[in-house]
Amino acid sequence: MQAVIVVAIVTTIVFVLIHIAPGDPFTSAMDNPNVTEAMRARWRAMYGLDQPLLEQYVRYLSNVARGNFGWSFSMHRPVIDVLKDALPNTLLLAGTALVLGFAGGIGLAVIQATRPGSRTDRTLGAGSMFFYAMPDFWLALMMMLIFAYWLPWFPVAGAVDPVMHEYMGPLAALGDRLKHLALPAITLALLSGAAVARYQRAELLRVLPDDFVRTARAKGLSERRVMWVHVLRNALIPTISLLGLSLPVLFTGAVFIERVFAWPGMGWVILNGVATRDYPLVTAGVIVAAATVTLGSLGADLLYSVADPRIRGR
Amino acid sequence: MPDGRRAALCCALALTAGLMAGCSEKSRTESGGGTLVVSTASDADNLFPPLVMSSQGRQVVEQIFEPLADVGDSLNVFGDAGFIPRLADSWTWSADSLSIAFHLDPRARWHDGKPVRASDVRFTLSLAKNPSVAAPIAPLLSNVDSVSVTDSLTPVFWFKRRSAQQFYDAATVALIVPEHIYGGIAPAALASSDVLRHPVGSGRFKFRHWVPNATIEIVSNRDHYRAPAKLDRVIWTIAPGDFNAASTRFLAGEADFFPSVRPDMMAQIAKSPNLRLVEYPGFKFGYMVFNMRDPTNPKAPHPLFHDVAVRRALTMAIDRASLVRNVFDSLAIPSIGPTVRAMGTSDTTIAQIPYDPSSAMRILDSLGWHAARDGIRARDGRQLAFTIMVPSSSKDRERLAVLMQDQFKRVGVKVSILAVEPNVFEQQQATHAFDAAIETWLADPSPGGIRESWGSEAARTEGSKNYGDYANSVFDTQVDSALGASSRSAARVLFSRAFQTLISNAPAIWLFEPRNVVGIQKRIHTAPLRADAWWAHLADWYVPADEQIARDHAGDDVALRADSPSSKGSS
Repeated sequence: MQAVIVVAIVTTIVFVLIHIAPGDPFTSAMDNPNVTEAMRARWRAMYGLDQPLLEQYVRYLSNVARGNFGWSFSMHRPVIDVLKDALPNTLLLAGTALVLGFAGGIGLAVIQATRPGSRTDRTLGAGSMFFYAMPDFWLALMMMLIFAYWLPWFPVAGAVDPVMHEYMGPLAALGDRLKHLALPAITLALLSGAAVARYQRAELLRVLPDDFVRTARAKGLSERRVMWVHVLRNALIPTISLLGLSLPVLFTGAVFIERVFAWPGMGWVILNGVATRDYPLVTAGVIVAAATVTLGSLGADLLYSVADPRIRGR
Repeated sequence: MPDGRRAALCCALALTAGLMAGCSEKSRTESGGGTLVVSTASDADNLFPPLVMSSQGRQVVEQIFEPLADVGDSLNVFGDAGFIPRLADSWTWSADSLSIAFHLDPRARWHDGKPVRASDVRFTLSLAKNPSVAAPIAPLLSNVDSVSVTDSLTPVFWFKRRSAQQFYDAATVALIVPEHIYGGIAPAALASSDVLRHPVGSGRFKFRHWVPNATIEIVSNRDHYRAPAKLDRVIWTIAPGDFNAASTRFLAGEADFFPSVRPDMMAQIAKSPNLRLVEYPGFKFGYMVFNMRDPTNPKAPHPLFHDVAVRRALTMAIDRASLVRNVFDSLAIPSIGPTVRAMGTSDTTIAQIPYDPSSAMRILDSLGWHAARDGIRARDGRQLAFTIMVPSSSKDRERLAVLMQDQFKRVGVKVSILAVEPNVFEQQQATHAFDAAIETWLADPSPGGIRESWGSEAARTEGSKNYGDYANSVFDTQVDSALGASSRSAARVLFSRAFQTLISNAPAIWLFEPRNVVGIQKRIHTAPLRADAWWAHLADWYVPADEQIARDHAGDDVALRADSPSSKGSS
């Protein structure tokens, strides 16, 4: 119930803010010398944008309740179709990046925590700090420049080869998709993995001196088993919080990464919607985002109890 | 068979096969073929000619659909000289010039095989003029009263009044669409109809598919009544909203054509063994418009800019040549006024207000604007200061504003720069809530649009494109005379007078006229690029057989598959 209230409040705020922002979905048409003010007024009337804001809001809510998210002015398609196209792409990209980032970050943290203060620890720490501090769009541009332009190992942009993809066999088509996925997914994974590694290392070092770790070692368990089974499980709570916060990216997209690599996902859709004052698209995007933030929190709560049974009892 | 005869037969067969192969190769080289991949940062808005507004949309629909006649490379819009037959193979003027009867080419077919008929022309015009459709081309058809049908191949255009451009209005403004495809949709529902995403036209290319924000593909129409397109297919690859991705795609060889080359890309393209640069004239120009209204009280005149002497002095303070060189390098030249050099009615010898800061200071002194201790001029306690508004999306305009700020400061004028989001920029212009703004204007071959941007009638109309609210009855009269001229040469003389009036009145500082530069893979052989549309002759581009690469052959069977019913309308 709380989640529904949160989504409703966020939707209302965004609906009002985007409508009172300067311009409207037809402002960009003013660049066209032939588009007159009368024509714009007619377009506004056609889509009911000349009605009072409250009336527009009530109409929007009743449409959303019936599963109709409206018409995207910038994409010239139903909003639901736009989301249906963008969402799978974002899920693929962000899902891959999330898995790579969290797996890589946790792995790095374990390596660092088993050798605290060593040269390996310091080198990996500096490396993760480097990526943690780096602006995402800049890293994306550098990755594109190095691995798509100077060393043309990967394609520059897009989700598939626009020319050859449909003529490829199943394996080649899969390879093409993976090649296009590689650069944006690795960029995102480097950024999220660096954060995970830093949080996870700190938590592992906090847990390592605990009594139960000494007991596990006293029982004669191997160091690997102690670290991966006993210590890591007890040190996962902050990382799970981070995962909960990262989950919305799965649905709303990584705006700058998607833009730099021309990845046709949710991030670009929402950004474009804001720039073009595409009211229905922005509002629908925010509904999806708000819903996933609340679901992400719920998912994180569930994972806490899996990782630490003591939480289940509270 | 004796060995000698067998050997001779083998030789003859080999020779014949060789000749056939050679002929086939020669024929393919001449007829072309191949795939063109265009890299762009924007998607099309829609693919329905009466509603399309974006440049990408125009690039596609103008390959799929045809007008009755094309304006031709001379871009003459007066009378019918220079026009090239398209769907109409001939036309006849009535004695009183109030109607034109077009004769359609009887071979013309829609891409679904049905013949193009006069009723399709009538349908297109009624649709474009229907207020429920709200088509952007409707104002351009205001002089067309109606279209009647004499027989299945003869639509007749009836005009409200005689006009030198009436043929242009009738023959080129509307691309003809098939009534049997679009006639069943209510006009008000057209804009949201899915049919618009699967266009059926009569052009030398036909639509294959459109993946929103990813690709649009068209293929050669092998059955076209005049000639199929030489390229097998054209694909627009879209990097939505990201210029860098679009340009890198081209530089990395993933695309063959990039239509928006910037100065920083030119060296890279010139260095590449596979790429070349092609320059062609453009129809865009940029200027800083003065607002004649007081932005704080729109009913009052602007405290500075209502005075033509101040506007002229400010114009004299600006070294346009150095500004343009600094910002655009060699990719732009100083503008010659509210027009472009490529327009047939333009006179490039019109006298401009010269760059003369000394005279500018003298004029301002004489008007009572004297420099104070801080170097800024003031009169009656008011500083000679104003704000230049630019859209934050245009780095070129921001840089121009910064350089102008410095040049104005040298003559004692204080300028602030206000960079605002594009939507805010448009809204502030429309409501006259600015002092000065750096704008760009994309002209079309018809010079009639100048009324909308600088005419007195537009100044009286809220929401018009006359953002500076400039009104001058002498200029209006001169433009009316020019638009009524019977020939292009006469129009040029009359337009020169009108432009001279406007330039002398300095309602704006005419800043730059970009030179269009495109980047192309060397294997692509192009036809001349036209100033108003680089894509005008796209159907005549080709890749010679001996220069084709793998992607030129990837779609060899596409045209055939596009004919199959199952693939129609795929997206």
